Amino acid sequence: MTTATVSRWDRFRESFFWYSFRRDKVAIISSLVLLLMVLAAIFAPLLAPANPYDLAQINIMNSELPPLGLDGADPSFPLGTDAQGRDLLSTILYGTRVSLMIGFGAVVLQSVLGILFGLLAGYLGGKVDAVLMRIADVQLSFSTLMVAIIVGAVFKASFGNLMFGEIAIYMLIFIIGVAEWPQIARTVRASVLAEKKKEYVDAAKVMGFGTRRIMFRHILPNTLSPIFVIGTVQIANAIISEAALSFLGLGMPETQPSLGSLIKSGFDYIQSGSWWITLIPGMVLVVLVLVINLLGDWLRDVMNPRLYKG
Amino acid sequence: MALLEVKNLDVRFAVRGGDLTALRGISFNLDKGERLGLVGESGAGKSVAAFSILNLVAQPGYIAGGQILFKGKDLAAMSERELRKIRGNQIAMIFQDPMMTLNPVLTIGTQMVEAILAHRKISKKEARDIALDRLQKVQIPSPEKRLDQYPHELSGGMRQRVIIAIALLLEPELIVADEPTTALDVTIQAEIMDLLLNLCEQENVALMLITHDLGVVSQVTRRMLVMYSGRIIEQGPTRDIINNAQHPYTRGLISALPQMGSPGARLFQIPGSMPSLKNVPAGCPFHPRCEFATEQCRGAMPEYVHSGNVDVACFEVAHRIEQETRMQEAES
Repeated sequence: MTTATVSRWDRFRESFFWYSFRRDKVAIISSLVLLLMVLAAIFAPLLAPANPYDLAQINIMNSELPPLGLDGADPSFPLGTDAQGRDLLSTILYGTRVSLMIGFGAVVLQSVLGILFGLLAGYLGGKVDAVLMRIADVQLSFSTLMVAIIVGAVFKASFGNLMFGEIAIYMLIFIIGVAEWPQIARTVRASVLAEKKKEYVDAAKVMGFGTRRIMFRHILPNTLSPIFVIGTVQIANAIISEAALSFLGLGMPETQPSLGSLIKSGFDYIQSGSWWITLIPGMVLVVLVLVINLLGDWLRDVMNPRLYKG
Repeated sequence: MALLEVKNLDVRFAVRGGDLTALRGISFNLDKGERLGLVGESGAGKSVAAFSILNLVAQPGYIAGGQILFKGKDLAAMSERELRKIRGNQIAMIFQDPMMTLNPVLTIGTQMVEAILAHRKISKKEARDIALDRLQKVQIPSPEKRLDQYPHELSGGMRQRVIIAIALLLEPELIVADEPTTALDVTIQAEIMDLLLNLCEQENVALMLITHDLGVVSQVTRRMLVMYSGRIIEQGPTRDIINNAQHPYTRGLISALPQMGSPGARLFQIPGSMPSLKNVPAGCPFHPRCEFATEQCRGAMPEYVHSGNVDVACFEVAHRIEQETRMQEAES
């Protein structure tokens, strides 16, 4: 506070958030691992030795080669190959990309829906609240997987396999996003109910601000911290949901595999000794979900209003 | 014409088992640049009165009758859109707790600029200049720095200064201050009160000061209202009421103040407590606590009578005045 203007970066470095992050080894390691995986996924086209989407690069003669260090390994395929002869390392990099895209996409969609409906229900109350929350209740009483299986099967039947492959990623984002919005809507609604009784909301009304402005500009920023926590955990959940759907054959097609469909594609060969096709993507999936969940736990602790008011 | 003219205002709360009357036939005037005090115990309806002036009674409350004429226009009958143009712009409000009234996640500058832009079509830069000017007016140290700070970085006294600065942003004609100093330190209370008083005098802003501090009222206001259980029971020039209160309740309030002259003496206490809105006694609501209560008080609500410059709603005062006039007539 020596200068008149304090930059955002200085503010951030002085914050409790940064302080508790530096002191928490789990948080540091998890975020480093996550950062590494996200960067690897984003730059997959540059990092991967081969392009698994390019059928011309695939040679069926290379199928089921083991990873380095095992008998019969080929040094140009460090993690071995899958049953179609694709380089497993490249496929995993591209697969992580797909999984992360679906995870983030679904959470963005469910946050938009959840925040909008949660704010409306909490702030307006009355009939709006009753209707929106009953819709949420109905939505929550269907299992995500069940809805996804039905919608996925209908899509697949009506568009055919080829077309389905192109729209699969959007369909998965849509299904997982729509199925999970009530989680966020309920949390937002609960915080809005608490926030709207505070005096700054009265003060905003007294200033002559409109309802929309009070909702989005004054109340919403005050309800963001629980949304961050839930959003983080929901990314992990969305990735798992996607993997489960792909494993059931209703997610990403094998031509553009996600981690889930890679695990599935290797599952048929696990008995014949090619365990790496399933195990390595499986481990990547577990690590990815684990670090996101660990970060979510840490966020929950940091953003707990009873520990820290800011 | 008075700036604000409240006529027979009734405010009720719709709750299960029927309506509760929070304000009953409130009437008063406030002239341009005048300062009016509104006193009463907790639960007397002071804050409801303040909010209803802006037609902002919180659900399930509603204005059941009467008029709130601001410059001749009835706020009680206005649309939400029209009301928004008046709120913050021509009538500003200051709340009790400076810790709670500022939005914790927005900087002071953002909040001030936003308030200006909601009512004026000017650039952000100009709005920021206005904000800075108001912060200078409330004598905040290093005002430029404050614009970029968050509320939690300021002390309570500074925050209340910021809130006063926000109230002054759009040059309102009336400021409603709901216990503006209650949450502050005694030393800072005096500073903030002086500041508010000076600014109102300089800018010729009318002030409606709601408080339970009779000391503040006597220093700041020219006229005052005393409320009890949703009714105005006494109103008139502050000096007359403080020096020579008529209503037994007001007299009780004043004698309950600690006196410098008699240290160690027991403080006077009005027996009992304010009735809850659910069971307001019939007749004069103060009668169960009043030493002069008669059958008449239990049966009917007293009308206002003139006693000098003061209007009082009390049978006892009415009788006394009657007797006095009779004696004067007998003498002459």
